Amino acid sequence: MIRIGVQTKGVVGDTSPREGFRLLKKAGFSCADFSLNVYLTNTLLYQNEKNAFFNQTDTELERHFERHKYAARESGIAINQMHMPYPMYVPGGKNRLNEYLRDIVAPKSLKICAHLECPYIVIHGFKLQHFLGSEELEWQETEKFLDTLAPAAKEMGITLCIENLYTSIAGHVVEGPCCDAKKASERIDRFNEKYHAEVLGFCFDTGHANLVGIDFEDFITTLGFRLKVLHIHDNDGIADLHQIPYTFTKTRENRVSTDWEGFLQGLRKINFNKVLSFETAPVLSSFPEEMGEEALKFIARIGRYFAERVETV
Amino acid sequence: MNLLCTPSHIVGIKNPYKGLRNIFTAGYKNMLLDFSLCCTSGELEQIGKKEAIKEMTDRLKVFENPEKMSEAMLPLLKQCEAQKVHMPAAYAPYLERNTKHDDLNGLLFQLAKESIKVCGQAGCKNLVIRPLFAGISSENLWKHNKAYYLGLAELAREQDVCILLENQCKDFNGHLVRGACSLTEDARHWIDWLNETVGEERFGFCLDVGVCNLCGQNMYDFITELGNRLKTVILRDCNGNRESAMLPFTSVYQGRSQTDWQNLIRGLREIGFDGELIMDMRDTISAFSHLLRPEILRLSKKIGDFLKWQIEMEIRLKQYSSRVLFGAGNMCRNYMKCYGKKYPPLFTCDNDRTVWDTEFFGLTVKNPRCLKELPEDCAIFICNIYYKEIREQILEMGIKNPIEYFNDEYMPSFYLERLPMKEVPLKKQE
Repeated sequence: MIRIGVQTKGVVGDTSPREGFRLLKKAGFSCADFSLNVYLTNTLLYQNEKNAFFNQTDTELERHFERHKYAARESGIAINQMHMPYPMYVPGGKNRLNEYLRDIVAPKSLKICAHLECPYIVIHGFKLQHFLGSEELEWQETEKFLDTLAPAAKEMGITLCIENLYTSIAGHVVEGPCCDAKKASERIDRFNEKYHAEVLGFCFDTGHANLVGIDFEDFITTLGFRLKVLHIHDNDGIADLHQIPYTFTKTRENRVSTDWEGFLQGLRKINFNKVLSFETAPVLSSFPEEMGEEALKFIARIGRYFAERVETV
Repeated sequence: MNLLCTPSHIVGIKNPYKGLRNIFTAGYKNMLLDFSLCCTSGELEQIGKKEAIKEMTDRLKVFENPEKMSEAMLPLLKQCEAQKVHMPAAYAPYLERNTKHDDLNGLLFQLAKESIKVCGQAGCKNLVIRPLFAGISSENLWKHNKAYYLGLAELAREQDVCILLENQCKDFNGHLVRGACSLTEDARHWIDWLNETVGEERFGFCLDVGVCNLCGQNMYDFITELGNRLKTVILRDCNGNRESAMLPFTSVYQGRSQTDWQNLIRGLREIGFDGELIMDMRDTISAFSHLLRPEILRLSKKIGDFLKWQIEMEIRLKQYSSRVLFGAGNMCRNYMKCYGKKYPPLFTCDNDRTVWDTEFFGLTVKNPRCLKELPEDCAIFICNIYYKEIREQILEMGIKNPIEYFNDEYMPSFYLERLPMKEVPLKKQE
């Protein structure tokens, strides 16, 4: 049966995780996408900086997330997926920083994922096409990185999920790593064969796909069973806004400009039965605080509508 | 590789003399034979709206009588011949992306046939015919287009015309997303299937850079996966959100171009592209006063030549049996990274005497005087942006070897960091 989830960013904090998970449950969610990336942000990393969060020992980190784990369990929320901090490689960044990301942050993220009993962790592929010349060479670097994690992931029963990403040219969003469903599928199959386990899967991000005009239905059906998790959100086709589905129109006829029908059709075709997870944290900062709960309820309601449509034969 | 100019907003269909003169004066020897001049997408959209069509009294209504296309294009063809403007590629009439018509596919077929005939008359070898899309579901696109293109193949063979399919975007409630032939896999499959079925290379591909940009596509992958199926490239700029045909490098934000020229050049260079490059800047031209348009045309020619030069960079390296470099800085380092193994230079030289007889990325740095001892056919590639000055220096030294300009702005790959800049005055070493 399809379940509905949302990211924890903006809802579940360190001070009172129970409050956040309860709110998610009350709003109608049964799953959460744990935003581990908020503990080491991309803004910081792109400034060639880091913080001390991941310097903590495994035991300290486990202790840190202990309350989150039990709060989620108590509230009836399953942590279905997690977002590893990103980027995991800063082009032109200090060697020390990139080594720290690879050797410390990534393996510790995996341990936190296991500690929270989360089966999927989303990882951003390296953005190196500009420097290396081709997407294929870029993938090889990402694969080397995934190789450092795969044995542990296999042991922990975690599936690493690569995600369709974008990059930007003078403010114009263009496709980044993993935007070719066929190549991604071949790579996932090859990788899993190498490890004799399902250690690699895919996270389809609707917002990123919309920015580069990808055909949702075609992409999803090409991925098929390799599609493990979702990042559902909407935008205007120009900027990565992470808004509520059905928000944007572009003509006076006011018809939705994101192909949600194609999305549902694709999920239906592959008999998707996992979690419809929304990546819509910015909604919580755009709506007044007093309306946050209602906004979450509305997102969960859209999730249920999606689920009904996908499950209808 | 030919550089073509699009005639839209420059050349009048009834009185083409002046427009063609401007194109020729700007330095273009080639022009796109654009059948939209006699049958625009706007006119096709107006079909069925009587009032709008009545206003067109002074033109042949090709959309009503496709067989009159040849007659409508005649003044243009005659003038092209008189002014020696060649037309190696053409473009058949097409519908608006957001067309309300799903009943014009039969008419498009007629217009495509007439376009092929005129191409045959004009000796034009390549004709872009967009895939059909109006009223056709994604699942049925190939089925309909298979029949469409096969229906044109025999006539194309008779007229010795290669039909070029083109990557499309589609209008999804105002959002332009990937359409027919926008995935290389599909494009390759369509072309290969058609060619195999007709038993000859009758079909190829035209890459529209503007569409790739609108769909945020990686043009390097697109081009290298198409390989020699790619026959023409339409060069146009846009902001990636709205469709327009602007002069390359003019859609900018915060001082940077919004089109990925880097990956376009990388891809075309890698496949050794030698087809037709079409400069489509109709919106830029249209936005300028008639009085300024000749200047824009001249600039467009320079931009086209620049892109052609960048694309042909490796072809030039390849054409010499041996080569040396002039310059021992970042550009030389980039040369060695990307081409050092494939086209190894004998040595490099530099005006900075402090680096003479040192090693720089595997090359010995020599005094420029050593250039006097080069074998005759050895080319000197200047790896420094002071091209003119260094060229003069070499010529003043009495050296007769071919002199070429190397450039590292659009390289197959880059180092993650640049070397620290050094200030080296340009001075001649006699």
